[in-house]
Amino acid sequence: MKPETRTRKLHLNVNGKTLSVSVGTNETLLEVLREHLGLTGAKTGCNQGECGACTVLIDGTPVLSCLRLAVESENCKITTIEGLADEETGQPDPVQQGFIDHAGIQCGFCTPGMVLSAKALLDQNPDPDEDEIKESIQSNICRCTGYTQIVESIQAAGKTIREEKRD
Amino acid sequence: MTNNATSIVGTSPPIREALEKATGRARFVDDLPADYHVKVLGSPHPHALITRIDINQAAQLEGVSAILTHEDVGSNLLQFGCHRPTPTMDKQLRYVGDYVAAVAATSEAIAEQALNLIEVEYEMLPAVFDPEEALQDGAPLLYPEGNAYANATGTTLENRKERSVQAWGDIDKGFADADVIVEDSYDIKPQMHAALETHVCMAQWHEREVTIWNSTQVPWELRLLVSDYFKIAESSVVVLSPNVGGGFGGKYTGRYQFIVCLLAKKLKGKRVKMNFTREESLLHVRRPRGKIYTRIGARKDGTITALHLKGYFDIGAYGNFRGGSNSFHLEGGILSYKTDNAWFEAHDVHTNHSRADCMRAVQVPFLSFAIESTVEQLAEKLEMDPVAFRILNMPESGDMMPPTEYTENDDFFPTARFDLYPGRELMEKVLDKIGWKEKWNGFSQPSSVNGPIRRGIGMAYAMGYAGFYSDGSTKAEVVMNVDGSVTVYSGAQEIGQGINTGICMLAAESLGLPLKDVYLVTGDTRSGQYDVINARSSHQLATGGHILLMAIEKVKKQLREMAAPWLGIEPDSVVIRNKTVFVKDQPETAMEIRDLIGSLGSPISASASGPPGSLYPEVKPGYKAKQPMVMAAEVDVDMETGVVTPVRVVTGMFPGRMINKKVVRGQALGGAVQTLGMALWEHFQFDREQSRYLSKDFTDYRLPRARDIPEIETVLLEQVDEESLPHEGLPYGGRGVGEMTAWGAIAIANAVENAIGVRIRTSPLTAEIVLNAIEEESTK
Repeated sequence: MKPETRTRKLHLNVNGKTLSVSVGTNETLLEVLREHLGLTGAKTGCNQGECGACTVLIDGTPVLSCLRLAVESENCKITTIEGLADEETGQPDPVQQGFIDHAGIQCGFCTPGMVLSAKALLDQNPDPDEDEIKESIQSNICRCTGYTQIVESIQAAGKTIREEKRD
Repeated sequence: MTNNATSIVGTSPPIREALEKATGRARFVDDLPADYHVKVLGSPHPHALITRIDINQAAQLEGVSAILTHEDVGSNLLQFGCHRPTPTMDKQLRYVGDYVAAVAATSEAIAEQALNLIEVEYEMLPAVFDPEEALQDGAPLLYPEGNAYANATGTTLENRKERSVQAWGDIDKGFADADVIVEDSYDIKPQMHAALETHVCMAQWHEREVTIWNSTQVPWELRLLVSDYFKIAESSVVVLSPNVGGGFGGKYTGRYQFIVCLLAKKLKGKRVKMNFTREESLLHVRRPRGKIYTRIGARKDGTITALHLKGYFDIGAYGNFRGGSNSFHLEGGILSYKTDNAWFEAHDVHTNHSRADCMRAVQVPFLSFAIESTVEQLAEKLEMDPVAFRILNMPESGDMMPPTEYTENDDFFPTARFDLYPGRELMEKVLDKIGWKEKWNGFSQPSSVNGPIRRGIGMAYAMGYAGFYSDGSTKAEVVMNVDGSVTVYSGAQEIGQGINTGICMLAAESLGLPLKDVYLVTGDTRSGQYDVINARSSHQLATGGHILLMAIEKVKKQLREMAAPWLGIEPDSVVIRNKTVFVKDQPETAMEIRDLIGSLGSPISASASGPPGSLYPEVKPGYKAKQPMVMAAEVDVDMETGVVTPVRVVTGMFPGRMINKKVVRGQALGGAVQTLGMALWEHFQFDREQSRYLSKDFTDYRLPRARDIPEIETVLLEQVDEESLPHEGLPYGGRGVGEMTAWGAIAIANAVENAIGVRIRTSPLTAEIVLNAIEEESTK
């Protein structure tokens, strides 16, 4: 007996690079990122769209990559946590730096998804109020921090972004 | 070792792993590639015997590499720390999800397909789910010798006890002396740890040794147990646990690690991984359900004369980190109040649920629920202010606890003097911050009423250990490299709580080095360190830090002795700072450590090992480092829907001295939110008719999310007794902070009582439960 699988060759635009990859038609974007492309920053926390640990950005919008098939992900820009820091200098994105400096990270398992949800918010609105920040991470569960220091991290990142824009 | 003038201790540098975690580079076990993937066939029945099992069809599926059933495992028993000896896989299945068979295949999908091809026939057995029912005559037996397993002192069945008791004074006389007695009962439901990273384990056997990658709080315990199970040397077992995505008590050693090792042994040289689904992970382990009966008596003046507590704890089929919950209750609960007469009786009982383990302290979260609810009723009956009543009865620094001799002492806890115990100060600060005096109008008197919404205020207080709890052995090694930088090897285990950062900060402080010059090796048993308790019991900072500082002192002693002749002074006058040695008060008479150690030609190293705390010689014997926690909360209760909304929380604890302030605050805030989850939303549910768990995902088991969180403030009380140094072993006065703020769920229930005049004696306080209680009360 042999289990059935179908494969397809895809061209995915991930973190600014076009990558060719042969995937199972039933594979999720999360599986392809983690298992085919070695991008393990997106985490498998529930694999059913409830925890947000697998969040990536598609054309700047947060998407739960465990609920999206890889074959649906061509012709768009996929940003994972690995694509956020400056490629040349390694300088973290202001959102990442906010989490680093303001203790928004404990075990770190929710961090990639949390950072990307916050990134999407701050790209749209660098001066959100507390409710808008909470709304932006409502799909991302954190079991460690109790969220307060995450909210503070995002507030600090917004401040940095606003200052950078002013300069 | 304490010292007020610190340059690194008390600051808040980012945690050591912050950059790699923020950039996605941090590798967790499931991020590592495997050759084979394991799926487990779970029992569909809560209690059954396997009468026939046929794996032939599954074995023929292409991609299937190995299958394990109880027939392969025989009667191999796992000897967990204090557990009942546990079968790895058994013909008798004891809970829904118990291990029928395990398949290793080239993909998870194939392994899952194979599970469907395994033919099993079951003989159904009657099941029992309630810990009290499980003790009754004629109850279904999970084990032939009975369902009770209380055992504090060993792991054999011969030592098994039906119950454990801790008592002092004369309980009957205590109640006879009481003017007022309150009796009550509670049924506190399980909370699930729900770390965001699910349980995961990978193993690879080489010729004689095995490497295990595991998300674990206890790598050294796992190494010991695997070596014992497979009869190989401890040094032949390598446990790697680089990053752990949360633990909270849910990631101790279970049976699954051994199943992965057994399968990997069949597939020598290959990496075999088992990654739990969210459902499997949630149902794997939880905090026990506690049915608790309280009886507390007091004199008219408010003095507690007798405290009686009896509990039945559902430890599931294979549960409890430690049979005999007694000591944990006692140390973390009963000693919260000072009374001459006490009786505590614990029954740890097996039922047909999956295993239960501690969660942010063994049973304190529900013990404090029962005590802090009963205490309020006692104060009300005495017409006393609940704050004054608590302060009157709480222990103070220097009190001997318990105040009278033990009459029964199943866990051999010594009577000992409390060191610093600023319970009163902490309570006053927390209550000031929330504005208690302005808002407390008396029992059942809401602070405000707005249509159907009533606002109430409530509080909770409890006592916990500061880290030297049971004095678990640990080991650390410090190498001062030729350039004066330092490599630390520590047995402490990082699970997200920040201990790696704490260890590095302590080392940097003690050696006068910048943080960047301290490198830490941890999460890897090849380092040759040890820690038997590991990331449990809020103990890593105090115990690991204490042993680390001992090792550092030895390194410094060597350095001073080497430097003294060069500097022309006595070793005691040598100061070590910033990779130089110099003469005290004459920093210009200095020598670089590079030159000093360079003359030796090899690094300087030292290690320290052993049980710190009360057993350790330089710590005054007979002292206990204990700490209070206090939480106060305001809630809105909707009388029409029963919905309880937390409005404001102030959580307070006593960290002694904060090594890293942001890390301590993070622990306080995280614990407070977990206790809100326990109090309000996290509802463990089992459908007995269908034999199915309903709370198996994050929709039906609702964890707190960002928008659920009210304004939460912290009171982090710092105080170090420089004079008497009862616990000079506490590193710079720092105490464990991992658990305490997670004990405040009862503050919510007390606030609900204040708002609506109805006392809820279970958790969580869902809208349904609260509304039913309101309706019941109105029909009385």
